[in-house]
Amino acid sequence: MTDRREGAPLPDYAIDVQNLGVRYNLRLTRQTTVRTSFRDLLKKREGPSHFWALRDVSFRVVHGESLAVIGPNGAGKSTLLQVLAGIIQPNEGAVDVVGHVSSLLTLGAGFDADLSGRDNIRLAGAFLGIPHKVMEEKLPGIVDFADLGEFIDASIKTYSSGMRARLGFSIATAVDPDVLIIDEVLATGDAVFRAKSKQRIIELTKHAKAIVLVTHDMSWVTEFCNRAMLLDHGHVIMEGPPADVVKLHEERSEKARIEREAELARRIAAVEGNQPTTAG
Amino acid sequence: MATTAEARPLRAARRPGALELIQTGFREIWSHRRLTRYLVRADLKKHGADTVLGNIWWVLDPLLQMVVYVVLVDFIFHVGTPDYPLFVFSAILPWKWFSSAVNDGISSVTSRERIIKQVKFPKIVLPVAATVGGVVSFAFGLIPLLAMMVLFFSDRLSWYLLLIPAIAAVQFVFSLACAVLVAGVNVFFRDIANVARHALRLWFYLSPALYSYEAVAGRLDGWVGRILALNPWTPLFESYRNVIYDETMPNWPWLFALLVVSTIFLGLAMVFFKRVEPAFAKVL
Repeated sequence: MTDRREGAPLPDYAIDVQNLGVRYNLRLTRQTTVRTSFRDLLKKREGPSHFWALRDVSFRVVHGESLAVIGPNGAGKSTLLQVLAGIIQPNEGAVDVVGHVSSLLTLGAGFDADLSGRDNIRLAGAFLGIPHKVMEEKLPGIVDFADLGEFIDASIKTYSSGMRARLGFSIATAVDPDVLIIDEVLATGDAVFRAKSKQRIIELTKHAKAIVLVTHDMSWVTEFCNRAMLLDHGHVIMEGPPADVVKLHEERSEKARIEREAELARRIAAVEGNQPTTAG
Repeated sequence: MATTAEARPLRAARRPGALELIQTGFREIWSHRRLTRYLVRADLKKHGADTVLGNIWWVLDPLLQMVVYVVLVDFIFHVGTPDYPLFVFSAILPWKWFSSAVNDGISSVTSRERIIKQVKFPKIVLPVAATVGGVVSFAFGLIPLLAMMVLFFSDRLSWYLLLIPAIAAVQFVFSLACAVLVAGVNVFFRDIANVARHALRLWFYLSPALYSYEAVAGRLDGWVGRILALNPWTPLFESYRNVIYDETMPNWPWLFALLVVSTIFLGLAMVFFKRVEPAFAKVL
């Protein structure tokens, strides 16, 4: 970036997270209505009033690094990305993100289904706060990269999920971010586009941009990322080289799977154990 | 790129003061004015594209509503004033804008749930877009108003009609305050749309829309009279009717008082909205 404020010393990291904690108030996150509020006034609610989605999370990402965040469902991965993007305020600790952040977290999920692809690019640019002139300059490049042909002028509701993801990826990476944050990297997408996006990601890391992404596709992690972090129940389990972290994650998931199956087998056995007495 | 290049520390920050919140709110509205424009345009495209007659409905809708009231009040109850169609149309037109601002404002934040969870942007633009969107249908409604006046009520045409934008400006401030308030409340109480539907209807009938204020002011005492006197829509309906129907100046002191009250109300609504805004991404 050329317009960095002169004189202001820039830190040598892109992202610095210290003892981050994010708490959810369960009373508020349940869908409340006036009706349920009246009901709750009469009846005291039981159970915990809040839970920590993230706790004691600390890490740093330097320029040129791409960090993969992996972990089981509900580990706090998406919450972490939302904090980095500034969408959620932390309850504890400090988050410092240097530079302009591009976050189209779940690619294409926020599109307006009734508008055309082209209109959605403009709308996304406005949501991201990109100046109109800059966005108009980037528009042909985004359209080109998404490679949707005539569909670019059709309304988004006619798109397949892969097409949405392609458009989302094109926008998120074209806006020239210092820090790129992506959730669920290309869960869909064909081989050609995959190769193209790999190229894009490598280019971005070369330009000393920092990337943080969440994915369930472990081959992405080992192929494109130079670091990985395993989250579970809001805590960092391990951080380090992608291959090692992926290995631990797979071991843990395997263990969890075996435990679940054993539990299931026990329950089936318990049910079947009762069966003969009732059947005679 | 002209974006924030300096470090952005995000700590459990101190609570900003009320004036600071209002200032931030207005700055955000201004810096994201293009987003507002896109949102309004997207909304209009949707409404126009999906119906056969498209934008014709914006012209027809207030006219049809006028017919309903003329039949009811003039033909059945025989209590209408002279030129009653014009009388009631001058009330329907601004009210349609107001009710659409409130109704669209209610869902403005909750319907953008997905983008709110993905991108950091000032959520205040959403109720602003809902209010601005109503301006377009209001402007379209002026076409049948003028057509009607030229064709049937040409003796009531006057230069006072040019004062409509001034009255609309006061209405805008008041509508915006209402939209910002309900947009924030609806995130936490999702069923206020059900309440609003009936509250708006009651509000319309408790305002001098189908009747003039003078006609009832003397007769009504107690709480109905008081509501009517303190109702923000009393000066608004009366002012619109002054310039459209009565060919007179609006009651400026009354209108100005409403502007002051609305501005204060808008400030309070914005403070409320900005205070609850950080919770949106978590609650939605």
